[in-house]
Amino acid sequence: MSASPVVSISDDAELARAARHGSRAAFGRLYDRYARTVHGILLARVPHGEVDDLVQEVFLAALRQLSALRDDGAFGGWLAMIARNRAHDYHRRAREWTELPDEIPAADRHTPEALAALEAIRALPEAYRETLMLRLVEGMTGDEIAARTGMTPASVRVNLHRGMKQLRQKLDCEERA
Amino acid sequence: MRDDYLWDGSGEPDPEVQRLERLLSEFRSDRTAPELRPRPRWSAVAAAAALVAAGAWLVAGGGGGAPEGWQVARAGAGPSRLAVGQTLETGAGGHATMNVGSIGIVEVEANSRLRLERARAHEQRMALEHGLIHAFIWAPPRSFVVDTPSAVATDLGCFYTLEVDKDGSGLVSVLAGWVSFEHAGRESFIPAGAACRTRPGHGPGTPYREQASPAFRQALDDFDFARGSDRALAIVLAEATKDDAFTLWHLLARGDLAQEPRIYDALAALVAPPAGVTREGIRRGDRRMLDRWWDQLGLGNTGWWRHLEGQWPEGTGSR
Repeated sequence: MSASPVVSISDDAELARAARHGSRAAFGRLYDRYARTVHGILLARVPHGEVDDLVQEVFLAALRQLSALRDDGAFGGWLAMIARNRAHDYHRRAREWTELPDEIPAADRHTPEALAALEAIRALPEAYRETLMLRLVEGMTGDEIAARTGMTPASVRVNLHRGMKQLRQKLDCEERA
Repeated sequence: MRDDYLWDGSGEPDPEVQRLERLLSEFRSDRTAPELRPRPRWSAVAAAAALVAAGAWLVAGGGGGAPEGWQVARAGAGPSRLAVGQTLETGAGGHATMNVGSIGIVEVEANSRLRLERARAHEQRMALEHGLIHAFIWAPPRSFVVDTPSAVATDLGCFYTLEVDKDGSGLVSVLAGWVSFEHAGRESFIPAGAACRTRPGHGPGTPYREQASPAFRQALDDFDFARGSDRALAIVLAEATKDDAFTLWHLLARGDLAQEPRIYDALAALVAPPAGVTREGIRRGDRRMLDRWWDQLGLGNTGWWRHLEGQWPEGTGSR
């Protein structure tokens, strides 16, 4: 695992404040810092082929709603909430608009083993799957996950521990089957 | 303890966690290398199907059969379609989101007015008469173009904001990727973190870092739109840092011949010209020399630009 970058809430608050006052450069830096987090949150909830597009939608929504952010220090939790809401909207729109399949198998470039592992995580309870996606897919540390999502480190630790335990059981069962 | 490894990768490695990390790394976010390939959006495909089912036919375009129109979502209204030639207007407090074919999204802020000019697979084009848009485009460069009253903004694979006042003045601010701003052969390349103004009758000004000093920005504005005064140029050159080298690079082709030596010296002090680039060559607008100097700025290689551009437009790099 690569060394994790230093997480600084105060830096993020400064960037959020600057972005809220119109600095596009500051928003660009927030994008750089949070793209992985948003990606992981979405990957836990929507088909992986849709994630990249939805990441962009989340940041567009954030840019548009930035003036409504009351606590600059809460940018990470606020953005995570937008990402979760956008995933929820995705499924709602999918029900309203289309009967198309979630994935187009012919276009999938991932290995069966990787897809199976991803699906095993996606079958876990929501809190566990999001935390595990951020850790196992995006390569974030527990501290980073807490700082970026607004969760407490204790909650992240519990989610990682319990989620991994359930994931092991699930993968063992699938292997035996 | 194995949970240490699960927590932050420290301690005794957990083989199962390591295996999953390896397997799942292929799904990891790749924010530094955005995909620049066109891909179908389910919503656009589904919406097109829904419109056909409802009896609203979409006319196939000449560039691969893409529907000639964009899907539009507005607060408090169902999805609709903006056809080529139609105008969209948002009033006070209004807002709209448009799917740009299958290549991106444009958010339209309040008090904006725009017209869809072209909606083909390889060319999506709109005219922003006035207002504010945020564009997020994941298609290959030059697939998305916005005409404004004073310049044409061409997306080079990026995320940017474009604002046009009712007098036709514009401002583009780039968050990721690049935008080209062009009018009558005068072109500015605007990288992430930079912005560029444009005014009717002048075309695009010189791009600048958004974090450049206020004095630098004001002087650049004066230089661009107040007949290139020497005093304004002196302030720009004095305030420039290495991060502003791309601004000076643009000025090389814009200052008059009397100003060019000062611009050359100031840029050379920030980023030394590479071997083979001479003062005389720059003075006569040698594009290869300009290219080679650009390559030293740390903003990508001109080979990439060539890929994007095909060729430099006439007038760029010459006075």
